[in-house]
Amino acid sequence: MKSKYLIIMLMLTFSLVAGSAAVLAGDMQPDAAAAMDAIAKAEAARKKAASVNGEWRDTGKFIKQAEEAAKAGDYSKAVKLANKAEAEGQLGYEQQVSQSELKIPSYLKY
Amino acid sequence: MKTILITLAILAVSAVTAQAGPEEDRMAFIKHYKARFPSVPREEYVNGAYAIDPIGRENWEAIEEFPPYEPFIDAGQAMWEKPFANGKGYKDCFPDGPAIAHQYPHWDKGKGMVMTLPLALNECLQANGEKPLKYKKGPINNILSYIAFQSRGKVVNVVVPDDDPRAMAAFEKGKKFYFTRRGQLNFSCATCHVQNTGLKVRTEILSPSVGHVTHWPVYRSKWGTVGTLHRRFSGCNNNIRAKALQAQGEEYRNLEYFLSYLSNGLELNGPGARK
Repeated sequence: MKSKYLIIMLMLTFSLVAGSAAVLAGDMQPDAAAAMDAIAKAEAARKKAASVNGEWRDTGKFIKQAEEAAKAGDYSKAVKLANKAEAEGQLGYEQQVSQSELKIPSYLKY
Repeated sequence: MKTILITLAILAVSAVTAQAGPEEDRMAFIKHYKARFPSVPREEYVNGAYAIDPIGRENWEAIEEFPPYEPFIDAGQAMWEKPFANGKGYKDCFPDGPAIAHQYPHWDKGKGMVMTLPLALNECLQANGEKPLKYKKGPINNILSYIAFQSRGKVVNVVVPDDDPRAMAAFEKGKKFYFTRRGQLNFSCATCHVQNTGLKVRTEILSPSVGHVTHWPVYRSKWGTVGTLHRRFSGCNNNIRAKALQAQGEEYRNLEYFLSYLSNGLELNGPGARK
């Protein structure tokens, strides 16, 4: 009786450890909530870039594709695409903001 | 004595820190291109890449024997002559017309914005209860082709008026846009059209910006039709993987203002044919 209990306890502990190790290792499959979160972050980044006329060409497309993947249940694809779009949004914003001052390039001599 | 010295000092400082005006910008561009293409005469710049690419020019001259934009000129003439529903016509909005392309772009003091020809055409249509035209594709290219053809030989003369500081601000915004890197490829207009003019991007030779605006609208073989300058702006932005801005929006109109100034003194030669 005691050994049965012990086995169950061991199994539970094992699965907990395995689960947290998987999360720590990043093996954990993203779920719908994670996908929605990533898409929301991507859209926010896209809007931020757009606010300074810095949106890149494909950012919106990647977000659409992420939404479609999420709808189809492929959450890891959705997250991957959304992360890519978020990175583009951030880079596009920084690109414009870093050029707030006009600098005539040195190859054009006055 | 002290006043004189102070005045001289102030003058000296302001001379050093004075911003280059539009004329200085234009001359810097011309100097740059002259050094890059010493044998190309100034008036040839209106032919863009065909002023600097002899093989492209040969092909282009062959195409110009039966210009692909001719049907668009004819369609445009029909548009110009057809009365609106209210009996009026384009002639009433543009009594000097149709040879009016050289009057644009210009600073509109009343509206506080750069006025371009397509914008003015749509204002005419809307004022007469007609539906406005789209700015990149479609029938606007017909009427622009007709006006451009009638305006051939007119000289570009963009003015940045002294009496309205907003005009200079718009010019400077256009200039800023020209030199700003954008898109995933991180290019500015200057990257291709100043730094690398005469060199190739894939198979195409990059044209200089002096002469860029004179030959619009353009029949582009790639489009299989005539398209507007702002359509080309959108295409260029897409090429460098930047999301295109709005045709006839503020940014592209300011860019057109700056770009057109660079072509001051050149003769209009639209519509054009390009690869």
